[in-house]
Amino acid sequence: MTPTDILVIGGGIVGQVTAIELAQAGARITVVDAGINAGSTANAGSLHVQMQSRFMRLYPDQVPNIEASLPLYCQAVEEWRRLDAAYGPFELVRKGGLMLAEDATQLAFLEKKAAREAKKGVSVEILDRPALERIVPWLGPQIIGAELCRNEGKVNPLAANTRLRAVADALGVRFEQDHIRTLSAGNRIVAIGDRDTYPADRVVVAAAWGAGALVQGLGVAIPSVAEPLHMNITEASSARIEHLVQHAERSITLKQFKTGQIVIGGGWSAQHRGALRVPAVAPSSLLGNVSLAAKLVPAIGHMRIIRTWAGMNTTIDGASVIGPLPANDRVVMAVPGDAGYTLGPLVAKLAASCLLGQPDHGVIDRYTPARFAV
Amino acid sequence: MSRDSFHFDGNPIEFRDGQSVAAALTDAGQLALRRTAKGDPRGMFCGMGVCQECLVTIDGVPNRRACMTAAAKGLKIVPQIAFPVLEDMPAAQKPDPARILEPDVAIIGGGAGGLSAAIAARQAGASVIVLDERKVAGGQYYKQSASHPPLDAQQREGAALLKRAQESGADVLGSVEIWGAFDGPLFLADSEGAALIVRPKTAIIATGAYERPCMVPGWTLPGVMTTGAAQTLWRSYLTLPGKRIAICGSGPLNAQVALELAEGGADVAMVAEAARAPWRVPWHAFAALMADPGLVIKGLGMMRDLHRRGISLRHQTTLSRVDADGESLRATFKTASDEEIAETVDALCINSGFEPQNEILRLLGAKMTYDPAFGHLRCDRDTKMETSVRNIFAVGDCAGLGGAPAARVEGLIAGRVAAARAGFGDAHDLFSHQRRLARHRRFQASLWKMHDISPRTPDKAARDTIVCRCEEITLGDILDGLETSPGHVGTLKRATRVGMGRCQGRYCGPVATRLVAQTTGKPVDDFSNFAPRVPIKPVSIASILAAQEALDDPD
Ligand SMILES: Cc1cc2nc3c(=O)[nH]c(=O)nc-3n(C[C@H](O)[C@H](O)[C@H](O)COP(=O)(O)OP(=O)(O)OC[C@H]3O[C@@H](n4cnc5c(N)ncnc54)[C@H](O)[C@@H]3O)c2cc1C
Ligand SMILES: Cc1cc2nc3c(=O)[nH]c(=O)nc-3n(C[C@H](O)[C@H](O)[C@H](O)COP(=O)(O)OP(=O)(O)OC[C@H]3O[C@@H](n4cnc5c(N)ncnc54)[C@H](O)[C@@H]3O)c2cc1C
Ligand code: FES
Repeated sequence: MTPTDILVIGGGIVGQVTAIELAQAGARITVVDAGINAGSTANAGSLHVQMQSRFMRLYPDQVPNIEASLPLYCQAVEEWRRLDAAYGPFELVRKGGLMLAEDATQLAFLEKKAAREAKKGVSVEILDRPALERIVPWLGPQIIGAELCRNEGKVNPLAANTRLRAVADALGVRFEQDHIRTLSAGNRIVAIGDRDTYPADRVVVAAAWGAGALVQGLGVAIPSVAEPLHMNITEASSARIEHLVQHAERSITLKQFKTGQIVIGGGWSAQHRGALRVPAVAPSSLLGNVSLAAKLVPAIGHMRIIRTWAGMNTTIDGASVIGPLPANDRVVMAVPGDAGYTLGPLVAKLAASCLLGQPDHGVIDRYTPARFAV
Repeated sequence: MSRDSFHFDGNPIEFRDGQSVAAALTDAGQLALRRTAKGDPRGMFCGMGVCQECLVTIDGVPNRRACMTAAAKGLKIVPQIAFPVLEDMPAAQKPDPARILEPDVAIIGGGAGGLSAAIAARQAGASVIVLDERKVAGGQYYKQSASHPPLDAQQREGAALLKRAQESGADVLGSVEIWGAFDGPLFLADSEGAALIVRPKTAIIATGAYERPCMVPGWTLPGVMTTGAAQTLWRSYLTLPGKRIAICGSGPLNAQVALELAEGGADVAMVAEAARAPWRVPWHAFAALMADPGLVIKGLGMMRDLHRRGISLRHQTTLSRVDADGESLRATFKTASDEEIAETVDALCINSGFEPQNEILRLLGAKMTYDPAFGHLRCDRDTKMETSVRNIFAVGDCAGLGGAPAARVEGLIAGRVAAARAGFGDAHDLFSHQRRLARHRRFQASLWKMHDISPRTPDKAARDTIVCRCEEITLGDILDGLETSPGHVGTLKRATRVGMGRCQGRYCGPVATRLVAQTTGKPVDDFSNFAPRVPIKPVSIASILAAQEALDDPD
C-alpha cells in the first residue's frame, strides 16, 4: 500500500472537493467510501440561500442561528461559481429562487423575512402577481406573489460529481470502497474497515450520516442522523423554468435541468431501511409531492414522471460541523449543515484550509465540533 | 366502404376499426414517428408499451404511445418533438374520479398465466380482478384483437380462455396500466387518465416478458422492430410491418411469425437463426421430443412450411448491422462460414430471447436469482408459486422465461393458493398440476438448448452502437464510463446517463449490468441491477394528482 498522508472518509461532494484541495497542495490522499447512500449522488442540486419560512415558524428559537448562517450560504454559492469556472460546466444557473405565496398572510411573512435577509447582504425582492407573470408565466392562478432571492440557483449534481471525480483522479487521489467501522488514534490514525485497514497521519471525516459513529470514541457525541428523502423527475420539455421554485409554507422544490427534465423534491420523507441499504419510496410522499407541484405549476399536468428515488440526507443540528476534534486535532470534521450540497464545496475548502494550517479568519469557530464535546 | 381517418402531420390517415394509431400509420407506410434530442428518427419498436419509442403528440398532448393508443376519427397527431413546449399543451382536464378496488385476489397481467389464475381463484370463491394494460386481455401468446375474429387455433384458444375468465365472474379490466407497487400490497394504476387504486388481500403477478434485441449499429432505425411487435401488428390489427421482411435472432417465435406474416401476404426474405440446426444438437432435440412430442411436431411442421414457402431459414447466422437505404433498410448478416450477406427489406424483426417484466416483483422486495444461461433474473418461488414476500405470487414469464403452457399451470396453482390465503378453498391436491408443470419445464429446458439466447454484449469494436436508446448512449460512452465509474451499474448510470430515460433501462440495463460485472469481476446477482423504482411506466402528473385526491378524500 502506498503511504497516505491524509485519509478522507466519505466520497460525497465534501470528500471529493476536500481531496482535490489537499492533493493540489501536494498531499497524498486516499478517499475511502462505503459506496452507498451518498446524499451527493441523490440530491437535486438546488443552491439554497434564503431562509425556509416553514422552518422559521416551526423553530422560532433557531431563527437567530439560521440568520447568522446566511452569509455562509451566499459564500457557498460563490464557491460553486469558482468550482464551475475551474472544472465545470456543471450546468450552473443562477437566475434566483422564488418562494411562492398563496395568500396575504404568507406574503406578509415573506416580506418580513426578506427585510431581515437583506440586512445580512442577501439580494432579495418581493414580487406581486403581475411582476411574477412577467418572468414566470406558468404559475397557478392562486399564487399572489413571491420572494425572489437572486443568490439562489441550481447545478446538475450528476455533471458536477462526475467531473470532480475526474479531477481528483487526475490529481492522483486514490479511491477505495470500504465501510470504516472505527477510528483508532495512536501514533498514526488507523481507520479499520470491513475489507482493510487504512493508517494515515491525519483523517478528514466527510462521512455525513456516518460521521457521528466514526468519532464516537474520540471525545465528541455528534448526533448525525440518516434521513431518507424523496425525489421525482419528469421526461423532458422545453427549458422554460429557469428559477428554483419553492413555497412559503409547504415543502417543495421544483426546477428544470438543462436536459429539459423537471425535478421535484423538497424534503418529503422516504422509507428508512437502514443506513447500508437504499431507502424505499413512500407512496404518500410521491403522491403528495407531485400533486403539490401540479397545483403550483398546472402547466406540467401533461408531463409524465419517469422516475422517483429515495436518497439519504444527513441532519445534525442544522449547522455545519467543521474543524479538528477538541481531543485530537489530527481528526478533522467536514459535515455540512442544512442544504448540504450547496454548502459542500465551501465546507470542504474550510476543512482543507484547517488541515493545511491556513487562516480561516474565525469563520469556522461557530461550526466547531467542540459544541458536541462529552 | 369509406373508412374513418385521423391526421398525421397534416395528412389524412385511414384506419380500420380497432386499430392502434401505430398500426394505422404502419399501413400508411409511415414508420418514423418522432425525432430524438440528437435528431435521429425513431419508430415503433416493442409494440407493447415498453420501449417508449413510438411517442407522438395527440391533440396537443405530447408523449402518447402510438402502439397503445386506439386510432379515432379526427385525432390531430404530429410527430413527437424532443422538447415539447409547456405553454402549448392544452390545460390538463380534470380526470374521472379515481376508483378504489379491494378484491381478495388482484391479478396483474391478463395473459396465459393471469387468466388461468383468475379462473382458478374465482372457482374457489374469491373475488378477483385482472388488470391488463392492453385494451383486450390475452397477453403476448394469445394476442387478441379488438375487431376481427380469431385467425387460428392459438388465437381461438386465447379467446376461449378469456371468455372463461370473464364468465367465471372475475372482473377483467383492460387499458389499466399499473405504475406503482408498494408494501401492503398497494397498487396504483392509470386507466385512460383516471386513477385506479388497488388494495387486494393477495396479489398474483403475471406480467410476462418483453423481447431482447440484438444491439448492432442501426438497430434503432424506424422499421427495425421486435418480432413480437410485428406479430402484434398482424394478429391484433391485420397490419403487415412492410412488404418485404427479414427476421433474425433466436428461438421458435421467429419462425412462427415468419410463417404468419407470409400467410398474411408478406414477402419474408429470410429467417436468420443464431443457433445451430436442430440435427446438429440431436440430444437436445430428442429430450424435447420426450417431454412434449406435440410441440416438437409443431416445430418440425413450421420448418417444413418455411421450406414450402421458399423462406430460407439460415442457422448460425447473425445480424451485424442495419443501414438506411432510401425508404428501405439494408440488413447485413454474418453466416456460419463468416460470409457477409445482405437483404434489402421494409422491416426487420429481431428477437434474441426474452427479459422478464419483473419490475413489480422487485419493487415489492421478492428475492431473485440470476440465471446465467438465460441472462436474466428468476424470481425465487416455492412450489405454490409464492414469492419470498408473503401473499405475493408470481406466475409465467415474469418470474423467468417458461412459456405459455407452463404459465397456464402456474396460474392454476397460484390462483387456488391465493384464494385459499384469502379464505376460499383449501388448495389441496395440486399434485397433477405439479406433474404437468414439471413436464412443461423439461420441454422448455431442452427447447432453449436448441437455440442461442445466451446473453451477449455488443461487439466492442462497434463503439458507435447505441445501447441506451432513450438517452442515446453508445457502447463507447459506456466503455469510457466503466474506466472511471465501475463498481455498480447505478454509478455508471449517474456518470453516463445510461438507463435514465423513459423506458428505465429495460433494454440497456441488462447489457450495462453485464459489462459492469465483466469489469469488476463480481458475478451478476439480484442486487447488480438498477434499483427498482416507481413509476414502473411513466405516469402523467395529472393522474398522480387524481390518485392523491382520491386517497385524501375520507369517503
Ligand atoms: C433526495 C435529496 C435531495 C437533496 N437536495 C438537496 C439540494 O437540492 N440542495 C442541497 O444543497 N442539498 C440537498 N440535499 C442534501 C445534500 O445532498 C447532502 O447534504 C450532501 O450531499 C452531503 O454531502 P456529503 O459529502 O457531506 O455527504 P454524502 O454525499 O452523503 O456522502 C457521504 C459518504 O460517506 C460514506 N460513508 C458514511 N459512513 C461511512 C463509513 N463509516 N465508512 C466509509 N464511508 C462512509 C457514505 O457511503 C457516502 O458515500 C439533498 C439530499 C437528499 C437525500
Ligand atoms: C440530479 C439527478 C438527476 C437524475 N435524473 C435521473 C433521470 O433522469 N432518470 C433516472 O432514471 N434517474 C435519474 N436520477 C436517479 C439516479 O440515477 C438514481 O436513481 C439516484 O441517484 C438514486 O439511486 P437509486 O435509488 O436509483 O439506486 P441506484 O443508484 O440504482 O443503486 C442501486 C442500489 O440498489 C440496490 N438494489 C438493486 N436491486 C435492488 C433490489 N431489488 N432491492 C433493493 N435494492 C436493490 C443495489 O445493490 C445498489 O446498491 C437522477 C439523480 C440525480 C441526483
Ligand atoms: S413501440 Fe410503443 S412503447 Fe414500444
